[in-house]
Amino acid sequence: MEDRIPETPLFDRSRQLRGYRLNKMAMGLVDPANREAFRKDEEAYLDRFGLSAEEKRAVMARDWQDMVRLGGNVFYILKISAISPARMTEIGAHQAGMDHETFLRERLGKKPAGGP
Amino acid sequence: MAKLIGGLGSSHVPSIGAAMDKGLTQTDDWKPFFDGIGPGRDWVVANKPDVAVVVFNDHGNSFFLDKVPTFAIGCAGRYDPIDEGWGPRAIPSFEGHAELGWHIIDRMVENRFDPMIVQEIEVDHGIQVPMELFFGKPDKAWPVRVVPVFVNVIQYPIPLPSRCYELGQVLRRAIESFPGDERVVVIGTGGLSHQLQGARAGFTNPEADREFLRDIAANPGRLAALSREDYVRLFGSEGAELMMWLVMRGAMDPEVVVRHSHYYVPASMTGAGMLVLENRAA
Repeated sequence: MEDRIPETPLFDRSRQLRGYRLNKMAMGLVDPANREAFRKDEEAYLDRFGLSAEEKRAVMARDWQDMVRLGGNVFYILKISAISPARMTEIGAHQAGMDHETFLRERLGKKPAGGP
Repeated sequence: MAKLIGGLGSSHVPSIGAAMDKGLTQTDDWKPFFDGIGPGRDWVVANKPDVAVVVFNDHGNSFFLDKVPTFAIGCAGRYDPIDEGWGPRAIPSFEGHAELGWHIIDRMVENRFDPMIVQEIEVDHGIQVPMELFFGKPDKAWPVRVVPVFVNVIQYPIPLPSRCYELGQVLRRAIESFPGDERVVVIGTGGLSHQLQGARAGFTNPEADREFLRDIAANPGRLAALSREDYVRLFGSEGAELMMWLVMRGAMDPEVVVRHSHYYVPASMTGAGMLVLENRAA
Protein backbone atom coordinates (compact mmCIF):
# COMPACT_ATOMS: atom_id res chain seq x y z
CA MET A 1 0.00 0.00 0.00
CA GLU A 2 1.51 3.34 -1.03
CA ASP A 3 1.11 6.27 1.34
CA ARG A 4 -0.16 9.47 -0.23
CA ILE A 5 1.95 11.39 2.24
CA PRO A 6 5.37 9.73 2.37
CA GLU A 7 6.10 7.51 5.40
CA THR A 8 2.73 8.49 6.89
CA PRO A 9 0.13 5.74 7.22
CA LEU A 10 -3.31 7.36 7.27
CA PHE A 11 -5.76 5.30 9.28
CA ASP A 12 -8.19 4.96 6.42
CA ARG A 13 -10.78 2.30 5.74
CA SER A 14 -8.43 -0.30 4.29
CA ARG A 15 -5.93 -0.02 7.14
CA GLN A 16 -8.64 0.01 9.73
CA LEU A 17 -10.30 -3.11 8.33
CA ARG A 18 -6.97 -4.87 8.02
CA GLY A 19 -5.97 -4.03 11.57
CA TYR A 20 -9.33 -4.45 13.26
CA ARG A 21 -8.58 -7.69 15.14
CA LEU A 22 -5.10 -6.56 16.09
CA ASN A 23 -6.42 -3.28 17.46
CA LYS A 24 -9.29 -5.02 19.21
CA MET A 25 -6.85 -7.39 20.90
CA ALA A 26 -4.78 -4.41 22.11
CA MET A 27 -7.86 -2.47 23.22
CA GLY A 28 -8.79 -5.49 25.35
CA LEU A 29 -5.70 -4.84 27.46
CA VAL A 30 -7.40 -1.91 29.23
CA ASP A 31 -9.16 -4.63 31.23
CA PRO A 32 -6.92 -5.78 34.13
CA ALA A 33 -8.16 -9.39 33.72
CA ASN A 34 -7.04 -9.36 30.09
CA ARG A 35 -3.66 -7.90 31.04
CA GLU A 36 -3.27 -10.83 33.42
CA ALA A 37 -4.27 -13.32 30.71
CA PHE A 38 -1.78 -11.72 28.29
CA ARG A 39 1.01 -12.00 30.89
CA LYS A 40 0.18 -15.60 31.68
CA ASP A 41 -0.09 -16.97 28.14
CA GLU A 42 0.40 -14.37 25.47
CA GLU A 43 -0.24 -16.59 22.48
CA ALA A 44 -3.46 -17.98 23.95
CA TYR A 45 -4.67 -14.42 24.53
CA LEU A 46 -3.83 -13.47 20.93
CA ASP A 47 -5.63 -16.56 19.63
CA ARG A 48 -8.82 -15.43 21.38
CA PHE A 49 -8.90 -12.51 18.93
CA GLY A 50 -8.18 -14.63 15.85
CA LEU A 51 -4.85 -13.05 14.99
CA SER A 52 -2.95 -14.46 12.00
CA ALA A 53 0.51 -15.97 12.40
CA GLU A 54 2.00 -12.80 10.93
CA GLU A 55 0.11 -10.59 13.38
CA LYS A 56 1.02 -12.80 16.33
CA ARG A 57 4.69 -12.71 15.38
CA ALA A 58 4.65 -8.91 15.20
CA VAL A 59 3.00 -8.60 18.62
CA MET A 60 5.17 -11.21 20.34
CA ALA A 61 8.34 -9.65 18.91
CA ARG A 62 7.10 -6.16 19.94
CA ASP A 63 7.71 -5.26 16.31
CA TRP A 64 5.94 -1.87 16.34
CA GLN A 65 6.87 -1.10 12.76
CA ASP A 66 5.28 -4.31 11.54
CA MET A 67 2.20 -3.92 13.77
CA VAL A 68 1.56 -0.55 12.11
CA ARG A 69 2.18 -2.08 8.69
CA LEU A 70 -0.47 -4.68 9.52
CA GLY A 71 -3.04 -2.00 10.31
CA GLY A 72 -2.27 -1.48 13.96
CA ASN A 73 -2.92 2.06 15.18
CA VAL A 74 -0.53 3.39 17.79
CA PHE A 75 -3.32 4.51 20.11
CA TYR A 76 -4.42 0.88 20.50
CA ILE A 77 -1.21 -1.10 20.18
CA LEU A 78 0.42 1.29 22.67
CA LYS A 79 -1.58 -0.51 25.36
CA ILE A 80 0.81 -3.45 24.97
CA SER A 81 3.43 -1.17 26.52
CA ALA A 82 1.44 -1.17 29.77
CA ILE A 83 2.58 -4.81 30.09
CA SER A 84 6.03 -4.69 28.54
CA PRO A 85 7.17 -1.12 29.08
CA ALA A 86 8.26 0.86 26.03
CA ARG A 87 8.35 4.62 25.87
CA MET A 88 6.53 6.41 23.05
CA THR A 89 9.89 7.68 21.80
CA GLU A 90 11.21 4.10 21.67
CA ILE A 91 8.17 3.03 19.65
CA GLY A 92 8.78 6.03 17.39
CA ALA A 93 12.46 5.19 16.99
CA HIS A 94 11.62 1.61 16.04
CA GLN A 95 9.26 2.77 13.30
CA ALA A 96 11.80 5.29 12.04
CA GLY A 97 14.39 2.50 11.89
CA MET A 98 16.75 4.28 14.29
CA ASP A 99 18.23 3.49 17.66
CA HIS A 100 16.66 5.51 20.47
CA GLU A 101 19.55 7.94 21.00
CA THR A 102 19.78 8.73 17.30
CA PHE A 103 16.01 9.25 17.09
CA LEU A 104 16.02 11.63 20.06
CA ARG A 105 18.88 13.59 18.57
CA GLU A 106 17.92 13.67 14.92
CA ARG A 107 14.14 13.82 15.06
CA LEU A 108 13.54 15.61 18.35
CA GLY A 109 16.67 17.70 18.69
CA LYS A 110 17.54 16.29 22.11
CA LYS A 111 21.08 16.36 23.42
CA PRO A 112 22.46 12.94 24.36
CA ALA A 113 21.79 11.94 27.99
CA GLY A 114 24.71 12.94 30.19
CA GLY A 115 26.19 14.93 27.32
CA PRO A 116 26.81 18.68 27.13
CA MET B 1 -27.89 34.48 29.21
CA ALA B 2 -24.60 32.62 29.58
CA LYS B 3 -21.55 34.57 28.49
CA LEU B 4 -18.58 33.36 26.43
CA ILE B 5 -15.59 34.99 28.11
CA GLY B 6 -12.68 33.42 26.25
CA GLY B 7 -11.26 30.88 23.86
CA LEU B 8 -8.37 28.78 25.10
CA GLY B 9 -6.04 26.45 23.25
CA SER B 10 -3.86 23.72 24.67
CA SER B 11 -1.96 20.60 23.74
CA HIS B 12 -3.08 17.43 25.48
CA VAL B 13 0.08 15.29 25.32
CA PRO B 14 -0.30 12.49 27.90
CA SER B 15 3.31 12.79 29.03
CA ILE B 16 2.51 16.35 30.22
CA GLY B 17 0.10 14.73 32.68
CA ALA B 18 2.68 12.08 33.56
CA ALA B 19 5.32 14.80 34.14
CA MET B 20 2.93 16.50 36.60
CA ASP B 21 2.15 13.15 38.30
CA LYS B 22 5.85 12.33 38.74
CA GLY B 23 6.96 15.82 39.80
CA LEU B 24 9.13 16.28 36.70
CA THR B 25 7.96 19.77 35.75
CA GLN B 26 11.31 21.36 36.66
CA THR B 27 13.58 18.90 34.81
CA ASP B 28 15.58 20.05 31.78
CA ASP B 29 13.12 18.29 29.46
CA TRP B 30 10.00 19.88 30.92
CA LYS B 31 10.88 23.18 32.57
CA PRO B 32 10.80 25.25 29.35
CA PHE B 33 7.25 24.05 28.69
CA PHE B 34 5.87 24.44 32.22
CA ASP B 35 7.56 27.85 32.61
CA GLY B 36 5.21 29.21 29.96
CA ILE B 37 1.85 28.09 31.30
CA GLY B 38 1.61 30.54 34.24
CA PRO B 39 -0.10 33.38 32.33
CA GLY B 40 -2.77 30.94 31.10
CA ARG B 41 -3.53 29.90 34.68
CA ASP B 42 -3.46 33.52 35.84
CA TRP B 43 -6.00 34.47 33.17
CA VAL B 44 -8.37 31.73 34.33
CA VAL B 45 -8.03 32.79 37.97
CA ALA B 46 -8.66 36.44 37.10
CA ASN B 47 -11.60 35.77 34.78
CA LYS B 48 -13.40 33.13 36.86
CA PRO B 49 -15.16 30.90 34.34
CA ASP B 50 -17.94 28.64 35.66
CA VAL B 51 -17.99 26.21 32.75
CA ALA B 52 -15.44 24.83 30.29
CA VAL B 53 -16.64 23.41 26.98
CA VAL B 54 -13.68 21.20 26.10
CA VAL B 55 -13.18 20.11 22.49
CA PHE B 56 -10.95 17.06 22.26
CA ASN B 57 -10.54 13.63 20.74
CA ASP B 58 -10.63 10.30 22.46
CA HIS B 59 -7.50 8.17 21.89
CA GLY B 60 -8.89 4.67 21.79
CA ASN B 61 -10.00 4.75 25.40
CA SER B 62 -13.68 5.72 25.62
CA PHE B 63 -14.52 4.68 22.07
CA PHE B 64 -13.21 1.69 20.12
CA LEU B 65 -13.43 1.32 16.34
CA ASP B 66 -16.75 -0.51 16.66
CA LYS B 67 -18.54 2.83 17.06
CA VAL B 68 -16.92 6.03 15.86
CA PRO B 69 -18.95 9.22 16.25
CA THR B 70 -17.68 12.11 14.13
CA PHE B 71 -18.93 14.55 16.76
CA ALA B 72 -20.23 13.59 20.20
CA ILE B 73 -21.42 15.89 22.98
CA GLY B 74 -21.69 15.05 26.66
CA CYS B 75 -24.81 15.78 28.67
CA ALA B 76 -23.82 13.88 31.81
CA GLY B 77 -23.62 15.20 35.34
CA ARG B 78 -20.27 13.55 35.92
CA TYR B 79 -17.30 12.27 33.93
CA ASP B 80 -14.81 9.95 35.59
CA PRO B 81 -11.20 9.78 34.37
CA ILE B 82 -10.69 6.53 32.45
CA ASP B 83 -7.98 3.95 33.12
CA GLU B 84 -6.06 3.99 29.83
CA GLY B 85 -4.36 0.71 30.73
CA TRP B 86 -1.69 1.93 33.16
CA GLY B 87 -4.02 2.19 36.17
CA PRO B 88 -6.22 5.16 37.11
CA ARG B 89 -4.61 8.58 37.58
CA ALA B 90 -5.16 10.39 40.86
CA ILE B 91 -7.30 13.26 39.60
CA PRO B 92 -10.87 14.16 40.60
CA SER B 93 -13.89 13.37 38.45
CA PHE B 94 -15.23 16.19 36.33
CA GLU B 95 -18.62 17.62 37.23
CA GLY B 96 -20.66 17.97 34.04
CA HIS B 97 -23.07 20.77 33.15
CA ALA B 98 -25.83 18.48 31.88
CA GLU B 99 -28.37 21.23 31.11
CA LEU B 100 -25.88 23.18 29.01
CA GLY B 101 -24.84 19.95 27.28
CA TRP B 102 -28.45 19.21 26.31
CA HIS B 103 -28.99 22.80 25.23
CA ILE B 104 -25.93 22.68 22.97
CA ILE B 105 -27.12 19.39 21.47
CA ASP B 106 -30.57 20.92 20.76
CA ARG B 107 -29.09 23.97 19.06
CA MET B 108 -26.63 21.81 17.11
CA VAL B 109 -29.35 19.62 15.64
CA GLU B 110 -31.55 22.62 14.83
CA ASN B 111 -28.57 24.03 12.96
CA ARG B 112 -27.91 20.81 11.01
CA PHE B 113 -25.09 19.41 13.11
CA ASP B 114 -26.11 16.01 14.42
CA PRO B 115 -23.80 14.88 17.21
CA MET B 116 -23.90 11.62 19.10
CA ILE B 117 -25.62 12.24 22.46
CA VAL B 118 -23.55 10.93 25.38
CA GLN B 119 -24.98 10.45 28.85
CA GLU B 120 -22.41 8.08 30.34
CA ILE B 121 -18.74 8.07 29.45
CA GLU B 122 -15.32 8.07 31.05
CA VAL B 123 -12.80 10.54 29.66
CA ASP B 124 -9.11 10.27 28.77
CA HIS B 125 -6.06 12.53 28.72
CA GLY B 126 -7.58 14.53 25.86
CA ILE B 127 -9.63 16.48 28.41
CA GLN B 128 -7.58 15.76 31.55
CA VAL B 129 -4.33 17.42 30.49
CA PRO B 130 -5.80 20.74 29.23
CA MET B 131 -7.88 21.01 32.41
CA GLU B 132 -4.78 20.42 34.53
CA LEU B 133 -2.78 22.96 32.54
CA PHE B 134 -5.34 25.74 32.92
CA PHE B 135 -6.83 24.93 36.32
CA GLY B 136 -4.05 23.03 38.09
CA LYS B 137 -4.68 19.59 39.54
CA PRO B 138 -7.17 20.04 42.39
CA ASP B 139 -7.27 17.74 45.42
CA LYS B 140 -11.03 17.36 45.51
CA ALA B 141 -13.02 19.21 42.86
CA TRP B 142 -12.41 21.18 39.67
CA PRO B 143 -13.35 24.87 39.86
CA VAL B 144 -15.56 24.61 36.75
CA ARG B 145 -18.17 22.26 35.34
CA VAL B 146 -17.46 20.80 31.91
CA VAL B 147 -19.21 19.96 28.67
CA PRO B 148 -17.06 17.57 26.61
CA VAL B 149 -17.19 17.79 22.82
CA PHE B 150 -15.54 14.77 21.17
CA VAL B 151 -14.23 15.02 17.60
CA ASN B 152 -13.06 11.98 15.64
CA VAL B 153 -9.58 12.70 14.32
CA ILE B 154 -8.35 9.08 14.27
CA GLN B 155 -10.52 6.97 11.96
CA TYR B 156 -10.89 8.32 8.42
CA PRO B 157 -13.02 9.93 7.21
CA ILE B 158 -12.30 12.57 9.85
CA PRO B 159 -14.33 15.80 9.54
CA LEU B 160 -13.22 18.72 7.37
CA PRO B 161 -11.38 21.59 9.06
CA SER B 162 -14.00 24.00 7.69
CA ARG B 163 -16.72 21.90 9.29
CA CYS B 164 -14.99 22.17 12.68
CA TYR B 165 -14.87 25.95 12.27
CA GLU B 166 -18.60 26.04 11.46
CA LEU B 167 -19.35 23.84 14.45
CA GLY B 168 -17.68 26.48 16.60
CA GLN B 169 -19.92 29.17 15.16
CA VAL B 170 -23.02 27.19 16.13
CA LEU B 171 -21.49 26.44 19.53
CA ARG B 172 -21.14 30.19 20.14
CA ARG B 173 -24.83 30.81 19.48
CA ALA B 174 -25.76 27.83 21.64
CA ILE B 175 -23.74 29.09 24.60
CA GLU B 176 -25.08 32.63 24.31
CA SER B 177 -28.68 31.46 24.12
CA PHE B 178 -28.44 29.38 27.30
CA PRO B 179 -30.68 30.78 30.02
CA GLY B 180 -28.27 31.23 32.90
CA ASP B 181 -25.53 33.55 34.09
CA GLU B 182 -22.62 31.15 33.61
CA ARG B 183 -19.27 32.45 32.44
CA VAL B 184 -18.07 30.01 29.77
CA VAL B 185 -14.72 29.25 28.15
CA VAL B 186 -14.26 27.04 25.12
CA ILE B 187 -11.01 25.05 25.09
CA GLY B 188 -9.68 23.68 21.81
CA THR B 189 -7.13 20.95 22.42
CA GLY B 190 -4.59 18.74 20.68
CA GLY B 191 -1.42 19.11 18.65
CA LEU B 192 0.61 20.87 17.82
CA SER B 193 2.73 19.07 15.22
CA HIS B 194 3.50 15.43 15.98
CA GLN B 195 3.57 12.06 14.32
CA LEU B 196 3.48 8.79 16.23
CA GLN B 197 3.03 6.36 13.33
CA GLY B 198 5.06 5.29 10.32
CA ALA B 199 8.64 5.89 9.27
CA ARG B 200 8.12 9.67 9.64
CA ALA B 201 7.46 9.16 13.39
CA GLY B 202 9.04 11.94 15.41
CA PHE B 203 8.21 14.55 12.77
CA THR B 204 7.55 18.02 14.16
CA ASN B 205 7.27 21.35 12.33
CA PRO B 206 8.06 24.25 14.67
CA GLU B 207 7.75 26.84 11.92
CA ALA B 208 4.26 25.69 10.93
CA ASP B 209 3.30 25.47 14.60
CA ARG B 210 4.29 29.08 15.22
CA GLU B 211 2.38 30.17 12.13
CA PHE B 212 -0.62 28.22 13.37
CA LEU B 213 -0.53 29.95 16.77
CA ARG B 214 -0.38 33.31 15.02
CA ASP B 215 -3.04 32.60 12.39
CA ILE B 216 -5.54 30.85 14.63
CA ALA B 217 -5.92 34.30 16.20
CA ALA B 218 -5.34 36.63 13.25
CA ASN B 219 -6.31 34.64 10.16
CA PRO B 220 -8.41 31.60 11.08
CA GLY B 221 -10.02 31.55 7.63
CA ARG B 222 -6.71 30.39 6.17
CA LEU B 223 -6.53 27.48 8.61
CA ALA B 224 -10.18 26.55 8.11
CA ALA B 225 -9.63 26.42 4.34
CA LEU B 226 -6.78 23.88 4.54
CA SER B 227 -7.57 20.28 3.64
CA ARG B 228 -7.24 17.34 5.99
CA GLU B 229 -4.20 16.18 4.04
CA ASP B 230 -2.67 19.64 4.44
CA TYR B 231 -2.95 19.19 8.21
CA VAL B 232 -1.28 15.79 8.08
CA ARG B 233 1.45 16.98 5.72
CA LEU B 234 2.19 20.14 7.74
CA PHE B 235 1.63 18.93 11.28
CA GLY B 236 2.08 15.14 11.10
CA SER B 237 -0.43 12.31 11.22
CA GLU B 238 -1.54 13.12 14.78
CA GLY B 239 -1.07 16.87 14.22
CA ALA B 240 -4.45 16.72 12.48
CA GLU B 241 -5.79 17.16 16.01
CA LEU B 242 -5.15 20.86 15.51
CA MET B 243 -8.37 21.22 13.55
CA MET B 244 -10.13 20.99 16.92
CA TRP B 245 -8.74 24.42 17.77
CA LEU B 246 -10.90 25.66 14.88
CA VAL B 247 -14.02 24.72 16.88
CA MET B 248 -12.84 27.02 19.66
CA ARG B 249 -11.88 29.73 17.18
CA GLY B 250 -15.22 29.51 15.38
CA ALA B 251 -16.92 30.28 18.69
CA MET B 252 -15.03 33.57 19.01
CA ASP B 253 -15.48 36.92 17.24
CA PRO B 254 -13.72 37.46 13.90
CA GLU B 255 -11.42 39.89 15.73
CA VAL B 256 -9.76 38.65 18.89
CA VAL B 257 -7.10 39.80 21.32
CA VAL B 258 -4.27 37.39 22.19
CA ARG B 259 -3.77 37.43 25.96
CA HIS B 260 -1.19 34.65 26.05
CA SER B 261 0.66 32.47 23.60
CA HIS B 262 3.28 29.87 24.47
CA TYR B 263 5.14 27.29 22.42
CA TYR B 264 7.79 24.70 23.19
CA VAL B 265 9.08 21.72 21.25
CA PRO B 266 9.44 18.83 21.94
CA ALA B 267 7.10 17.81 24.74
CA SER B 268 7.80 14.09 24.42
CA MET B 269 7.41 13.94 20.59
CA THR B 270 5.11 16.92 20.18
CA GLY B 271 5.15 20.65 19.59
CA ALA B 272 3.28 21.90 22.68
CA GLY B 273 1.31 25.12 22.84
CA MET B 274 -1.02 27.18 24.98
CA LEU B 275 -3.17 30.10 23.85
CA VAL B 276 -5.62 32.53 25.47
CA LEU B 277 -7.97 34.59 23.30
CA GLU B 278 -10.58 37.17 24.23
CA ASN B 279 -13.14 38.84 22.04
CA ARG B 280 -12.17 42.44 21.42
CA ALA B 281 -15.39 43.76 22.88
CA ALA B 282 -15.20 41.53 25.98
